[in-house]
Amino acid sequence: MNSLTTKKLKKSLVSTEFFVLVLIVLLAVFIEMQSGLFFTNNNLVDLLRSMIVPSIFALCAYLGFISTGPDVSFPLIAALSSYIATQFVVITGFQGSIAIVFLVAIAVGLVLGSINGFIIAKYNFPSLIVTLGTSTIFSGILLGAFEASRMELPATMADFGRQSLLAVTNAKAGIGSSLPMTFLIFVGLYIIVYFVLNHTMAGRGVFAVGGDETSAERAGFNVKLIRFGVFTVSGAIAAIAGVCYTVESLYYLPTEFAGEEMIVIAAVILGGTRLMGGVGTLKGTILGTLLITIVTNSLILVGIPVYWQKFFIGAIIIIGTAISVIQSHNLFKSKKSKDSKGLQNSEVVINETAQKQ
Amino acid sequence: MSENILSVKGVHKSFGGVHALKGVDLTIKKGEVHCLAGENGCGKSTIIKVISGVHKPDSGEVELNGKKYTSITPSEAIEAGVQIIYQDFSVFPNLTVMENLAINKALASKKKFINKKEFRRIAEEAVNKINFKVDLDALVEDLPVADKQLIAISRALLADAKLIIMDEPTTTLTKTEVKRLFEIIEDLKEQGVTILFVSHKLDEVYEICDSITIFRNGENVLSCQVSEMDDEKFAYYMTGRKFDSQNIKQNAKAGDSILEVKNLSAPGFDNVNFNLRKGEVLGISGQLGSGRTELSLALFGLLKPYEGSIVVDGKEVNITSPAKAQELGIALVPEDRLTEGLFLSQSIKRNINVTKLDELSSKLGVMNITALTDESKGWVKNIGVKTKDHEYPVQTLSGGNQQKVVLARWLATNPNVLILNAPTVGVDIGAKHDIHTLLRNLANEGRGIIVVSDDVKELVDVCDRVMVMQQGKIINEIASGDLNADMLSQYI
Repeated sequence: MNSLTTKKLKKSLVSTEFFVLVLIVLLAVFIEMQSGLFFTNNNLVDLLRSMIVPSIFALCAYLGFISTGPDVSFPLIAALSSYIATQFVVITGFQGSIAIVFLVAIAVGLVLGSINGFIIAKYNFPSLIVTLGTSTIFSGILLGAFEASRMELPATMADFGRQSLLAVTNAKAGIGSSLPMTFLIFVGLYIIVYFVLNHTMAGRGVFAVGGDETSAERAGFNVKLIRFGVFTVSGAIAAIAGVCYTVESLYYLPTEFAGEEMIVIAAVILGGTRLMGGVGTLKGTILGTLLITIVTNSLILVGIPVYWQKFFIGAIIIIGTAISVIQSHNLFKSKKSKDSKGLQNSEVVINETAQKQ
Repeated sequence: MSENILSVKGVHKSFGGVHALKGVDLTIKKGEVHCLAGENGCGKSTIIKVISGVHKPDSGEVELNGKKYTSITPSEAIEAGVQIIYQDFSVFPNLTVMENLAINKALASKKKFINKKEFRRIAEEAVNKINFKVDLDALVEDLPVADKQLIAISRALLADAKLIIMDEPTTTLTKTEVKRLFEIIEDLKEQGVTILFVSHKLDEVYEICDSITIFRNGENVLSCQVSEMDDEKFAYYMTGRKFDSQNIKQNAKAGDSILEVKNLSAPGFDNVNFNLRKGEVLGISGQLGSGRTELSLALFGLLKPYEGSIVVDGKEVNITSPAKAQELGIALVPEDRLTEGLFLSQSIKRNINVTKLDELSSKLGVMNITALTDESKGWVKNIGVKTKDHEYPVQTLSGGNQQKVVLARWLATNPNVLILNAPTVGVDIGAKHDIHTLLRNLANEGRGIIVVSDDVKELVDVCDRVMVMQQGKIINEIASGDLNADMLSQYI
């Protein structure tokens, strides 16, 4: 048992999640030392608040990667479905529960996601190309057909946005921050996704399909159905993120969404999710998102201008990816030497060095 | 109850215009280890897919455990106890050993939720069946190939397998791993499991199988007990050709020295001396790690010697790089053609031409397409690469023909000394003979050839003399007169 725990400890020490955690701590300590403002109640609440929508988007990117490949359509699914939900409230003058607004958005999200899922699963097209295409189409529908533009939110939605779960005021600076109700949605979604992925056959099927499609098919998984399901559900999650974002900002702005995908994907990859599928954890996804959020949110505390944030995000993405590449390289090497075993080892090493020369 | 677990009768199967199975029969007795052999494309994989229900036969019938099916579905096959160990093992690299073992069973029982305890119990039950020691929480991608195979086998046993089909199970295993696999097969046999062992390696067939069926071109040409089998018969039925391995050495005559190695030492070998003459095929043998690979690398400038000298055509030379080696007329055909030698997705033509690009291009680097095409066509014809067109990607070729492409590429540089590392690993019998004949012909043209190999039969068939290495030193040299398989086996 003892050796098992040390083994587990060792494993977690070399995991990507661990590196991200170290980066987060270093960054936090750095900002705190420079400004004394990082570990203040309002900054921490602000961070949590800013994490909500990116974290939900991160679920979409994460599900795409572990099952199939990159998905870049979630911001536009969010934009289109939250627009339709908002319009539904505006046009019908709906006064009831906010849950219904979410349900409308989810329904739209399911339909849009299922379009991705259908094309990807049925025709086996690369998910990047398909979602790039659909996302452009959704954008066209939103801005062209619906002529969506900036909209004040109807009362039902704005009220929900103003409700807070937790409000704090920084005594020293006199700045207040509040945590919106959408935080609960974010937590709830992660719990549900965690449970489904880890404790149901369907969830394990997602990993199985991402790990080896042929093996999954031979084992009896319905590969196409699983892929279709993942993208459909991802559409619904994106819709939820869209409504969360809209109610948090208290108005609807159609152009706010596009472009979000790259930063979210960067966060997910940073958290250790593998581009080629089958590998990645929700823990890593959250940590990756947190790191990116700290960079975009808190660097300003040390007086680093906004445009430098982009520089830092870019640098972190490259460093983070480098770490995972180096790790998978090490893994490959150790695998190779394990495969060839014993004496053959020396031959493999010599072959490798010989090729480098 | 019949005593046959499987009996396939008159199965036909066509794909488009290709008649893959032309009315084959295959009968396997309960509890035996039955070998299915044949060259690439003989219909081995097709019949496996018919038995497992992946392909529907055009006509004929499959009888499993006394029950007749005109066409069997995959789930019927599994129910009847048919399990296949695929060459890629069909495992999930990203999941743990435990999940890999338990997931199929959980799927089959239509479970919706995961019960970790149950999974662990199933996984333990599975590995215990073959006494397989493995960390159940390890990720499968971190395991050696042999362990992946054992996972596939234990998983098959979980599904209550009565007939396990192993598709070329030893291809990626080391000798020790093969031994372990054979122990497990013996053990399964005792438990009453029938094995269909698909292989084209004769020594394995002798060792493990009770009876054998050989396919050729979609027909079964022989079914008999392994005890009635011999090398010549095996080769004949596999290929439909008679081989006379004695003959290929007939015109051998050695000329002047072409490559001389004096007191050569490098990491991996020590104080090696030998002399290679024109028209000679010299074998270098020894176990893995004996220094044989390192020696070949040093001769090609891939490994720097720290002592000794190399004399080519009477002149002492310093081979510092592969480019230098090529300049001196030395070519090396590497051991692992898939990763070191070939661009699989590129055409045969491009693969052959890659060593000739400089020579057949203008000074500005523009390729002379006509010359390149002629060059490649010539080689394809000369060394008998079996393909419809040299524009086809190399991956469409069988192992033996891929090896011929690698050979052609190096022969195109017109080398005086050709070093080949394990030239016929994974190559089937017919192509092996072709390559051996080709090597002898090349030697007869006045080249010096070095064959690095641990295949005893190959060394005896093709070499004039064989040097045996052990721990970096040459421990013996066996000259032509004394060269025979028994003699050589003592040293390897």
